[in-house]
Amino acid sequence: MILRSIEMESFGKFHGQTIEFRRGMNLVIGPNETGKSTIAEAVPAVLFGTDRLERYKPWGRNACSASLFFEGGGRTIQVKRNLVTDEVELVERDDLYQPLSQFSGKAPLRGRSSSCREYRELLESLLGVADEKLFRATYFFGHQPQEWTGDELAQKLRTLVSGTAEVDYADILDSLLDEHFSLTRSNPWGRDKQRDREYEDVCRELENHGPADTVPVFVEIDDSIENKGQIEALSAELVNDRLEYEKGLRYVEHVRSRQTTISEINPRTVVEAPSAAGPAGPDDICKQLAAAGLPEDPPSNLVELLAAAAEIRQEMSSLQQPYAALGNREKKIPGVPWTALLSVSVLLALVTGAAWWRQLYPLPVSVFSGTVVALLSGWCGWRFKLNRKARAECKTERGRLDQKKSAIQQRQAELSERCEALGLPSSPIDLVRLQKLVSSNRELLESYWARPVAEHSVDDVAVHVEPRPPEQIEAAGSVEEDAPDEELQEMEARLAEFAAEINRKEGRLQKLSRQLENLASSRAAGTGGNHTALQKRKHELESRITVLRKAINLLAGAVDEFSRSHLVRLNHEAGKLFAKITAGRYAEIRLDENMVPSVLVDRRRWMPAESFSKGTVDALYLALRIALTKIRDDGRTLPLMLDDPFVHLDQRRLATALNMVDLASADGQLVLFSHNLELGKRAARERWHVVPLDGSADDTRTSVEGGEHAGQLHLL
Amino acid sequence: MTGLLGSDQIKALASEESVRGVLVCMVLEQAEGADSDEMKLLEQALQLLLSRFQAMQGDAS
Repeated sequence: MILRSIEMESFGKFHGQTIEFRRGMNLVIGPNETGKSTIAEAVPAVLFGTDRLERYKPWGRNACSASLFFEGGGRTIQVKRNLVTDEVELVERDDLYQPLSQFSGKAPLRGRSSSCREYRELLESLLGVADEKLFRATYFFGHQPQEWTGDELAQKLRTLVSGTAEVDYADILDSLLDEHFSLTRSNPWGRDKQRDREYEDVCRELENHGPADTVPVFVEIDDSIENKGQIEALSAELVNDRLEYEKGLRYVEHVRSRQTTISEINPRTVVEAPSAAGPAGPDDICKQLAAAGLPEDPPSNLVELLAAAAEIRQEMSSLQQPYAALGNREKKIPGVPWTALLSVSVLLALVTGAAWWRQLYPLPVSVFSGTVVALLSGWCGWRFKLNRKARAECKTERGRLDQKKSAIQQRQAELSERCEALGLPSSPIDLVRLQKLVSSNRELLESYWARPVAEHSVDDVAVHVEPRPPEQIEAAGSVEEDAPDEELQEMEARLAEFAAEINRKEGRLQKLSRQLENLASSRAAGTGGNHTALQKRKHELESRITVLRKAINLLAGAVDEFSRSHLVRLNHEAGKLFAKITAGRYAEIRLDENMVPSVLVDRRRWMPAESFSKGTVDALYLALRIALTKIRDDGRTLPLMLDDPFVHLDQRRLATALNMVDLASADGQLVLFSHNLELGKRAARERWHVVPLDGSADDTRTSVEGGEHAGQLHLL
Repeated sequence: MTGLLGSDQIKALASEESVRGVLVCMVLEQAEGADSDEMKLLEQALQLLLSRFQAMQGDAS
């Protein structure tokens, strides 16, 4: 397959011009800035699209399009692309100009649509290449260095066999190894294994922290502060003090009950005076209640109401499990496969009918069908019975649960009514909140309720005034004389002081507990957070290391496989070409696993490429490039585009290089772009096809229209 | 095969006569008998490698 022509309707500086080529050697010649590179770039731009549209779109025009014509094997392929819209038309025709395959649609450079896929598949089947980078790596041959130094030649070859124009697979392997090496010292590929890396550091730090769930927060707190010891001592003291205080209360109550008259008897007043909340007036207590979020006038049966509410809640929640179990049970009730039974019955009826019609064992078939249908019907009936029974049981159970639920809801409604009547919130959520407040302010409430009845609100009196037991009234009649009033007052004062002391201790205990809780929570958050972050980082590193190892092994394996499967053929093809170029002087080339070439000298010694002259190394590289192209394009042989590759060569070397190129072109098509006008003489002598460029569009058109040798005539 | 390994781009790369093509072929072969964990690892490794091919190309150009 050769490139017959490039038609540029509007591409770069070219408008409506056609450049034609021939099999063998083609020379596109002209000074700098005459459009040589533009012509070379038109090929991949039309085939694959471009992301550098602005470079090729003519200034002031919103059009940029070109066409390529390939020819070979009795077929022609035309590819036309509008580079602005990326609309492509591809038509393959036979020698009678009948279309064999075609494509029309959008196919941008990095498109992922089904249209792009279809186009690339067609391109792959027709030209053997569907990737722009691979095309460049295979068919483009740019400026070569003045001297090949060190590993340059091997690196260039590694880049070419990598499948891209500029990436050396060895560099990728090195970069992966470097990353792996920077993460862990556990390195299967050698290098320094002594120094710990990030992964080892994270593991060690995690070991130092210990498991997150067993971090003894309190131990750490003990080490840093002595709060816990103080709290424990204070708590023990308070337990003893409260016991002593209660003893004192009981004694004072006993004494008072003997001294006071019936009208003065109110045991709760005894409790009120030395209350733990301290002496406080009725207004103060109401204010404190309001501040604590409690009703200012809490009814005395508040605790009972709240207990009833809690009981209702518990009963309601206890219903959830039976309801859930019942739901699961209902779901598990097996269904009856009526449809399957009907289908099988119909099928068997059809079979039986057919057997009778055809007289093929009608009786056995009928018996068999009847038996099967009977068995299936019996089985379905049994399942239906089970199903009905299970559903009935479930229904009964659900009714029982519903009844229980209704009873609980009824009690809840009654309780809500009672609460509303007392001015309390009635919703279950508010009652839960109220219960928490009551629990935390129990002493305050008791102080309120312990106040004399007169201090209570009028509505509440009925609740608090309780009929005194007869024995208490009788006992009140005989006042004990052995404890005088002064002594009683003194005892009450001492109890009040004791209560105040207990209050202070409780305050201090609460303060210490709060400090401890804050410290514990902050430590727990700090330690846990750090531990979690370390664990997360460890998992990230492990995952990255695993992926890196897999990637390294895969790439190393791919390089080995490529060497095994491709290098022998590459060496063979390149060797043949190199022998032709060097007139048989060097017949064999060998590439090692790192793509370092060596050449067989005198049929005995293998010598590294760098030990040869620059001209020989150039020839070697060209031979390898052409061989690689031949292997890649699988016999389809697209043109090799050489864009001033010998720009650095002196006259002697240039002559040698041109000989090589001329020889290499014999099997296919080469398009050499050069600014060296001296090449024109050589072209005329060798009868190369010449396309002269001098910056004038008209001249180019004339040369093309003038026939196959017009370029040469023009130069001559 | 779904995801990256089932994509058309990967199928196209697998047909290349290059180290990259051989690499993609190897990954596809290994993915044939792989369980879900191994498949995920293969995809991640291939994605990393292809991105290196691209990224390093970007660096070089």
